Amino acid sequence: MLKTLIRRELLDNLMTFRFAAAVFIMLLLVVANTAVLIKDHERRLESYNTALKNYHENTQERKTYTSMPLDVARPPNPLSIFNVGLDKRLGNEIWIYHGLVPTLWDARMHGITNPLLKLFASIDIVFIFEVVLSLMALVFAYDALAGERERGTLRLVLTHPVSRGQILLAKYISAMTCLLVPLLMSLILAVILLTTSTSISLSIGDFLRIAGIILSSVAYLSVFYLIGMLISAATRRTGTALMLAMFVWGFWVLVYPNVILAAIASPDASQARGESAKNQIQQIWEELDRERKQFLTNDAVPGEDPRFGIRIESGVNYYEYPIIDSSVLKRTLVSGANILKLHAESEPMVPHAQDYYRFLGPQMIDAAERTWLVRKPALETIFVQPAIRDRVLLRFSPVGIYDAATQAWAGTDLSGLKDFFTAARKHRRVMIDFYYDKKAFRSRQWFAADKGAVAWESLPQFSFQKSSVQTNAARALPDLLLLLMMNILLFLFIFLVFIRSEV
Amino acid sequence: MIWHITKRELYDNLNSLRFALATVLLLALMLTNAIIHLREHPARTQAYHDVTAESVKKLEARSNSLYRLAAEGPGDLHKTPSLLRFCAEGDEAFLPTHAGGSNFFPGIANVRPIWRMIYPQETPHLFNIRPDFTTLDWAFIVGYVLSFIGILFTFDSISGELERGTLRLTLANPIPRHIVLVGKFLGAFISVNIPFAVAVLMNLLLISTSDAVQLNAEAWGRLGILYGIVVLYACLFIALGLLISAAVRESGVSLVVLLLIWVSFVIFIPNTLASIGSRTSVPIAYMEFWTQRMQLADEARETYRDKYGDSQTPPPVHILGEYVTTEAEEYERFNEAYLKQQVEQGKRARAITRISPTAIVQRLFESFAGTGFERHLQFIENVQRYAREYREFVVDTDRADPESLHVIGIQEGMSQKPVSPEAIPKFKDTLSLSRDFNAAVMDLFLLVLFLVVLLAGAFLAFVRIEV
Repeated sequence: MLKTLIRRELLDNLMTFRFAAAVFIMLLLVVANTAVLIKDHERRLESYNTALKNYHENTQERKTYTSMPLDVARPPNPLSIFNVGLDKRLGNEIWIYHGLVPTLWDARMHGITNPLLKLFASIDIVFIFEVVLSLMALVFAYDALAGERERGTLRLVLTHPVSRGQILLAKYISAMTCLLVPLLMSLILAVILLTTSTSISLSIGDFLRIAGIILSSVAYLSVFYLIGMLISAATRRTGTALMLAMFVWGFWVLVYPNVILAAIASPDASQARGESAKNQIQQIWEELDRERKQFLTNDAVPGEDPRFGIRIESGVNYYEYPIIDSSVLKRTLVSGANILKLHAESEPMVPHAQDYYRFLGPQMIDAAERTWLVRKPALETIFVQPAIRDRVLLRFSPVGIYDAATQAWAGTDLSGLKDFFTAARKHRRVMIDFYYDKKAFRSRQWFAADKGAVAWESLPQFSFQKSSVQTNAARALPDLLLLLMMNILLFLFIFLVFIRSEV
Repeated sequence: MIWHITKRELYDNLNSLRFALATVLLLALMLTNAIIHLREHPARTQAYHDVTAESVKKLEARSNSLYRLAAEGPGDLHKTPSLLRFCAEGDEAFLPTHAGGSNFFPGIANVRPIWRMIYPQETPHLFNIRPDFTTLDWAFIVGYVLSFIGILFTFDSISGELERGTLRLTLANPIPRHIVLVGKFLGAFISVNIPFAVAVLMNLLLISTSDAVQLNAEAWGRLGILYGIVVLYACLFIALGLLISAAVRESGVSLVVLLLIWVSFVIFIPNTLASIGSRTSVPIAYMEFWTQRMQLADEARETYRDKYGDSQTPPPVHILGEYVTTEAEEYERFNEAYLKQQVEQGKRARAITRISPTAIVQRLFESFAGTGFERHLQFIENVQRYAREYREFVVDTDRADPESLHVIGIQEGMSQKPVSPEAIPKFKDTLSLSRDFNAAVMDLFLLVLFLVVLLAGAFLAFVRIEV
């Protein structure tokens, strides 16, 4: 019996104009936007490769340990085509330095984009689904029950020995089948476009992540279909059902996600938190400065000059200056030199300088670690917590849940981006180990390259591996479960309403 | 007769669920908009006054010597925040809020370089990890929500009557069809406008009664123009609704078609086309620009060294003067060329989106609210004009001093006398309504054209319809 019902519903839906229109518009939008997004991705990839090339050239020129900053870059995520999340917005270049534990807030952007072009965000595929699929689902659902009731066909169906649950199930299954057609077709087209692009290579893991995105999309679609069906079951006229459905859509998809974040001001408790952290960090570095000065006064050379009066004939002489950015609690001391040829008279001063840097290097690492201990929780309170609160607020709309789930799958959410900075911090440790290993701090190459340059080749290359599919899945799971639970609850509701309604 | 039909439509609509829902939705949105503005505007204005006072103070501190004024330049110049930012936020949050003259550049031998205009390039939202959201301004409420409501009010206005058979009844009376159409148009127009007008009134009431924000006469004028644009835009979507409703005979189908048109034109076309359009004229990457600029400065220094070397006895004053002036000029010209490329890209991206009426309305709102891209171009123009004025002032004051050698930019060659702080020209970031209007004429014309085409289409479709 269920089969007959499903067949009837399927025929009813498939042969309609709205089905054809839905398929057409979805394909058009997805194909057009995917083409645009792929081009965009290729440009970002190009910028990334240029950056890598620059770093490589810098390595060639880096004769001493401190002559030039060591940068690493974040590759663009190919799945940002599905949901761009934070991938495009946050810094993609970070400085690896022993005196600073790198965080998201120290990152810069290679290939700065035009500041006059911000208004137009490029639309990702998930956004198209968010808007169009939900609308389509509601359009399919609003007259599912109310329409049959109005036409009287519901009565006819119920004269047969069918349970009401079966009717609901048949309607749900057939409409979802119809809605899946445009969804899957457009996704397949998008993936085909992706694979034909030579610059983007997708791994098996990426395909699994795309499967996760599809799964979330189906759950999202189903939520909106069920919302429509609930409205249809609860109202007696199609006109009312339609209006309610449209306004529900307008509210949840259009208005709520945009309004809620603007309307609720972020509490400004972070000010005091930032102030106290700033003071603590300042103390750490002032302490370092005191010890540094003490060392310089107590050593054999009079005066507090960290250059020890060394004169050079070519290259860059020693410099020292602090970097302070209190808005992100950044503080460190930059010191370095690139002495290519020493003045002959200065040769006796070199051991003193070596002693000093041997003292300063570990001190700076220590100060940086202590700064990190203060900085990390403070940045969490000031920046991360408001962002997390925003995401919680957004989850009151199915759009927010869906967005969060797909971002987690694509790895463009906050955790996915934090992975990169964790890798950068690890690379800093690797570099410090390399320094200790080479006894770099006490070496002459720390500041001067006249007696042989540094062999950078033995420093392991930085590589950023995206988190595994399991991790992505684990991050997406809460939101996916939320969507599924909404589905079950809505279905139960519809069942209750429909059982009790008079035909 | 028109009035009868309009009245009937109005009664129908005013009692409907959609009218109630639209009123509630628009009211809630407009009130939120007013509250957000009242919360944020005072802080913004205060911040602007603080930074401007700071940079004027710095400028006046340099008035003890004309040479300092000539070498260090006017400092940071700030963009005045718009009074009507609640109408259109535009890119405001992303666009640079200042430009400035600066002279922190490597010099040669013992000569300091002089100032040149710098246009900031940084991305201010690099650390923003909050989720993306559209700002809730009038442009959003009108562009997205009001157009959606317009469609919901009209999708069944002809096809619904056709289905119910009442259209037949109406046409049985001796009324020409176009009168029926105009009546329906007016009915829908008034019933869409009532909730919007109420919401706008509440919004403005809230904003104007607050002490924190004072709207001046010009702002009210601009608000009037904005309301006119809203009316045009609402008409457009009502005409579209009537057209599709008359062309398609079933309400269900007409709704689907309208929704698809709405989704494409309101949400997707502006963004997708803009990213396609922005690709037609891409400025060189910033790093490349930076390298080229550095090279330029290096070359200038090299040529200087080739001529005079790093000798301790400096060459005559006028040669040094020529060097610093040309170096700063070259540098500034290069900066401006890059800025021009960026502006060009922005213009192209915006021009192509004119296919969508929503993008047109967004532009119009930005123009008349004094925010966004066009406003930024005006700011840049003001800045450039002021830079010229400032340079002329320095030259003129120097000329008035008989002891000076009239070599601008070199300490020994210039007047060292103090300048009265009041005499130094101050930067004023002005907005001219007539200029805004000129920039908007094309968009307004397009909007009217859209409306005329749609109305004509609706008329044709309705006249040919078989009842």
